[in-house]
Amino acid sequence: MTVNSLDPRVNRLPAIGVPGQIVPKAPLDQFGTFEVFVQPKEGKSFQHEGIVHAPNLEMAYVLAKEAFTRRFLCTSLYVTDTRNVYISPLTEGNTDAYDLIPEVPSQPGEKVSFEIYHLVKRGKQHTHAGTVLASTPQEAMHLARTAIKKDKTVYNVWAIRTSEIRFTTPEDSDLWLTLAEKKFRDASDYKGGDKLKEFLERAK
Amino acid sequence: MYGGGNTFEGVKTDSIALEDPARLAEFEARIDRGEKIEPADWMPQLYRKQLIRMIEQHAHSEIIGALPEGTWITRAPGFKRKLALMAKVQDEVGHAQLLYSAAETLGKSREQMIQDLISGKSKYSNIFNYPAFTWADSCFISWLVDAGAIVNQLANAKGSYGPYCRALDRICAEESFHLKFGHHCVIYLATGTEKQRQMFQEAINRWWTPMMHFFGPADKISTHTEVLMKWKVKMSSNDDTRNQFLDMYVPKIWELGFTIPDPKLKKNAETGRWDYTEPDWEEFKRVINGDGPCNKERLEVRRIAEERGRWVREALRSPKAAYVTPLA
Repeated sequence: MTVNSLDPRVNRLPAIGVPGQIVPKAPLDQFGTFEVFVQPKEGKSFQHEGIVHAPNLEMAYVLAKEAFTRRFLCTSLYVTDTRNVYISPLTEGNTDAYDLIPEVPSQPGEKVSFEIYHLVKRGKQHTHAGTVLASTPQEAMHLARTAIKKDKTVYNVWAIRTSEIRFTTPEDSDLWLTLAEKKFRDASDYKGGDKLKEFLERAK
Repeated sequence: MYGGGNTFEGVKTDSIALEDPARLAEFEARIDRGEKIEPADWMPQLYRKQLIRMIEQHAHSEIIGALPEGTWITRAPGFKRKLALMAKVQDEVGHAQLLYSAAETLGKSREQMIQDLISGKSKYSNIFNYPAFTWADSCFISWLVDAGAIVNQLANAKGSYGPYCRALDRICAEESFHLKFGHHCVIYLATGTEKQRQMFQEAINRWWTPMMHFFGPADKISTHTEVLMKWKVKMSSNDDTRNQFLDMYVPKIWELGFTIPDPKLKKNAETGRWDYTEPDWEEFKRVINGDGPCNKERLEVRRIAEERGRWVREALRSPKAAYVTPLA
């Protein structure tokens, strides 16, 4: 380290590489992306929250817990590889995304379960709308129109094979059991009003 | 936390004139209706480019902003202050993750953004190039730098790009703890011993110029600035956000009996705006271009962190992985 820091930990950093010389990052150095869905309250639908970068599905699950449930209410979450999400065209105004999904004749072969997500308000997140049995994602979206869709205009549809989702299991729930007392992270724990009032009274 | 006063990149050619007029009109109509733009929507190149730049700078500021406060975790006075500061620093790094993800939806990879940070190509908030000498400096950052950031972020959360707005909503909710924690720390210094009061007064004296720089130089009115405001990329001028910050926080600083090192600072009754001494913009330029007290240290710490983690990332990389742009 060639800089002299106020922080002794910085001064103790090992000398690695050449200061100022940047080794180019390899492709996928930050890993692939996984989509994260969170259930904010018991009984509420899961909603899309964002992504994490992770080397695999299991690590994505752990990192999603850290990134998206650190503060906000969350009863459960799940993750899937971004590549497993099949998406419809995005629409606007009165155009329903289902109107742009081509009709797919019923496919032969084994039917598997697909989770379906709807975007019903532009600017908001996709929320879980239901589950259908189909052979392909295209067929799943087509079937969802009659099986799941209600009156509201849907601007975008996502379909994910249920088997490709890493759900929360009962054994995972202890992930949320960290420190019992976490009030120190709440704004409500920092009441300085009385101290300030007393100070202002004295200053008069 | 976030450095405001974005410096938008000048565009050499008039890229707006090259856009398809029908699509451009559709895009602008959507923004006028108050709808959000999503990654799959058509957008002008200038919009994409400037948003990447703005969100990326914001993400870098969260990462680098964690460094001067992180320095004080082990030396914070008492166990509770240590816990709170650690939680705050963790939040800041978490905010960077959310922001990098939002920027990625526009097509720039995370690898490239990190590379551009440590090579010095991308900027971050200038204020983090100054050192936190004492605990009072850390308190100044937690209270007032975060306050400035919140003024900016609340404005930007009303912008037009969906993924950025959603990330900001989440970030603003967490920032309320930072602001209250910072104010609480300052109240304890202000109502403490003479030495503690002196420490915070010295912190104000050190940080006032960087704090005024924080909102950026006065905006030059240009066609591009106008168009970026019309497209709700830029939500208010640098001077307006600076004025809003002064309005909200100068009275609180004065209430605690501290002084601000600017004899001209006062609210102008006629204009309703604050008069102040223009901060030294030459210093701002010099520091943002790499010649500040901590620029080298900040980037070197990031470079070493990258190098130290490289073998772990290589060991974990799956041959089956393939990059895809995040969806929303």
